[in-house]
Amino acid sequence: MTLDEVTPRIMKFISESFLEGDPKGELTETTPLLEWDVLNSMNSALLLNYLREELHVDVPLASINAANFRTVAAISLLVSGLTADSAEGV
Amino acid sequence: MSLHQLVIDAAARRPDAPAVSTPSGSLSYAELDAAADAIAARLGRHGVGRGDRVVLWAAKSPATVAAMQAVLRLGAAYVPVDGSTPPARVATIVRDCAAAVVLTTAEKISRISAELGEQVRYEDLDGPYDPAPAVNADTAPEDLAYILYTSGSTGVPKGVCLTHENARAFVDWACDVLAPEPEDRFANHAPFTFDLSVLDLYAAFRAGASVHLIPAELSFAPKQLVEFVHEQQITIWYSVPSALAVMMRHGGLLDRPAPDSLHTVLFAGEPFAIGQLRDLAAWTNARMMNLYGPTETNVCTYHVVRKEDLGRDRPVPIGVAASGDRVWVVRDDGIIATAGEEGELLVDGPTVMPGYWGHPPQRGPYSTGDIVKILADGTLDYVGRRDHMVKVRGHRVELGEVEAVLENHPGVAEAAAVTVGEGVDTRLVAFVAARPGADLGVLALRQHLAEHLPRYMVADEVRFLSPLPRNGNGKIDRTALAARAVPNLPTERPVR
Repeated sequence: MTLDEVTPRIMKFISESFLEGDPKGELTETTPLLEWDVLNSMNSALLLNYLREELHVDVPLASINAANFRTVAAISLLVSGLTADSAEGV
Repeated sequence: MSLHQLVIDAAARRPDAPAVSTPSGSLSYAELDAAADAIAARLGRHGVGRGDRVVLWAAKSPATVAAMQAVLRLGAAYVPVDGSTPPARVATIVRDCAAAVVLTTAEKISRISAELGEQVRYEDLDGPYDPAPAVNADTAPEDLAYILYTSGSTGVPKGVCLTHENARAFVDWACDVLAPEPEDRFANHAPFTFDLSVLDLYAAFRAGASVHLIPAELSFAPKQLVEFVHEQQITIWYSVPSALAVMMRHGGLLDRPAPDSLHTVLFAGEPFAIGQLRDLAAWTNARMMNLYGPTETNVCTYHVVRKEDLGRDRPVPIGVAASGDRVWVVRDDGIIATAGEEGELLVDGPTVMPGYWGHPPQRGPYSTGDIVKILADGTLDYVGRRDHMVKVRGHRVELGEVEAVLENHPGVAEAAAVTVGEGVDTRLVAFVAARPGADLGVLALRQHLAEHLPRYMVADEVRFLSPLPRNGNGKIDRTALAARAVPNLPTERPVR
């Protein structure tokens, strides 16, 4: 999946699952998700579950860190990179 | 003996043995020792010395562990703050404890210095480190080793002060009970701001064993946690029961044979549902222990799970006194309880804190606020809380404080927080009625909460509801709110 495909799906999942649909449209690609606890420990687990179930991306242990989860942009970059890797592996 | 002597001694005995490990890098004892001295030299240039406080604002990493040792080696106390905490809250903590230095990464220094200016000094945690001479300042048992911040009224943070004596009484007791070997591999699940992490780090160091850090973002990721246990060949696991429950229910923990390496499972922070513990006990032969104690006393009681405990219809007991402490139970009428009776648990002994930072000292026994029952054999059963405090994934949450912080926001007319679900499924949901005309968004409120409360008290969900429902007495109807807060959980989706 390309970055352009991944980003809106991540945005939609986060706004629907953790922000009541984000009625004011506050969520952007650079909103600090960890700092504002949008992704707390439990919500991070829900996001990883979504990535695995819906986008078929298993994030490896070494990639689960604050740098890769701090914003929608960072998560999207990680996910599009991982899907590219698995496509090459096929 | 001081808390930091443990790494110094282990580095002399086992310099090449692994000390601290993460999925993305590790340090041997010699490397940890050298990094601690190097960071101490950096802090020493700011004049940090005995009796000072250093706020350590960083994600879990081997460097963060080295930094804790560096602060201790100077005779100062470290104040850990999670790396994802907003600068405004870090600043509140720095001011509260009158820290000498904020130790953090270069990128974060620019952010926190924008908040605090020249009130405090800043030091860079990032390597590479210049070699520095060994440092090991004299400390007295009553010197502070670390301060752990919890919530206080209306979002003002409250620092629980712990001394070297407090910490060593607990660590030495834990090592007597667990008898760890140098080959042991401890998992570190809890954040460094949570006292469960003291066991993982310092029991490992006392044994010359290794500790394997689980980053915050990984801490409730079911599949990855299970993979971590197998891949890192963990021998001693310690966490809140919620983490184990998540691994069993959503991570397939029980689908694979238990790793042979795993010989001890410790849990604390909240009751472990007996059915889940039974499933876990059927899966592994590891010994299991329930540890109990608020941050103010660290572990003050413990219970080794026996076969017959698994036949109970309620969680296993919290057991008997630990860490050299004395515990007793006082009934509602002020009389000391005996077998069969209930009352509040009181603790006195070497692990009881000297007090909260900036508050009058703690004198005499510590009243836990927890109601327990004395069983026929003298062990204690946890019954519940005296007050309205609730636990969310092992962390204590005062709902009134969440509400007070929300109501301090200029756009909020009133707020009510409720918890829904049990055990691992517990979610903290805040309902907010906005002031007429206020242009208020969910994210703006999350930011406000995160700046004023510890991470674990920021609601899992914030919802708008105007007006808040009231019962016949005119009070906010919490039952109706709890019913509205239908859990939005991964359990509703099958997890493969």
